[in-house]
Amino acid sequence: MPDPAAVAAPRTAEFESLFASVVHSAYGVAVRFTHNRADAEDLVQEAALLALRGFDSFEPGTNFKAWFLRILTNCYFSTRRRERRRPTVDLDDTPDLYLQARAGQAGLIGEGADPAAALFDRLGAERVVEALNRLPEDYRVASILYFMEDLSYEEIARALGCPVGTVRSRLHRGRKMLQKTLWQVAEESGIVSHSSAQGDA
Amino acid sequence: MSLDRTTCEEAFRKLDDFLDRRLGADEMRIIEQHLEVCAACAREFTFAASLLEGIRSKLRQVSAPPDLLARISARIGLASRGPGGGDSSPSG
Repeated sequence: MPDPAAVAAPRTAEFESLFASVVHSAYGVAVRFTHNRADAEDLVQEAALLALRGFDSFEPGTNFKAWFLRILTNCYFSTRRRERRRPTVDLDDTPDLYLQARAGQAGLIGEGADPAAALFDRLGAERVVEALNRLPEDYRVASILYFMEDLSYEEIARALGCPVGTVRSRLHRGRKMLQKTLWQVAEESGIVSHSSAQGDA
Repeated sequence: MSLDRTTCEEAFRKLDDFLDRRLGADEMRIIEQHLEVCAACAREFTFAASLLEGIRSKLRQVSAPPDLLARISARIGLASRGPGGGDSSPSG
């Protein structure tokens, strides 16, 4: 059970302060990881306990949020990864500019600095999450860390325990896949008609 | 700077790294100069940036329970009960 006394009191106070500064961000990531608020809270709690016990390994002055999210990601992988979901998008068959082409055909590209805004207004958050969840797990997790918290490629690599080049590849390919799954979700939910995707690869 | 096909292809190949600011200062500047004079690439880059921002803003719409910090702190033996404690990054 909890043993905060295992960490010297001044450092426990330091941990509390730092944890308070990231707990909501960590919860947001955990919700996206687990798809479930109860599981997300359990995951943050599990990560917090491990982080407290291992706080001596945190180097003061470095990015605590990145350090904590690395622990959270490891917790997620160790407890949930066996529940592998089957991705519903192929890895390599999304053409360049896929979503721009489809949205253009459907008349959903706006003018100005935010041309995809009209599409996202129609999609809403739930459908964007659904599109994300159709990515293969390794791509989904890297994308969550990237989109939710603006972690650097290097910080994501440390969280995932893989080379920076692997992160770059997953993020870039993940974006292409996301374009396809976003359009899939838009079609399935009736936001756009299937006819507007004729000629799909 | 020439607007030949190679330049557009080169710019497009670096689109993701440009948006993530993973290029060196010189490469960033070359792409920026190209976008100033190439409307087609500028449209593609603007859409790609808008797409990333749309995904980012929708995914971040997560509201945390107000007593999250207090609950977790109590369960792991910390004293924190800070009212409104914690960051507010995920919202909505």
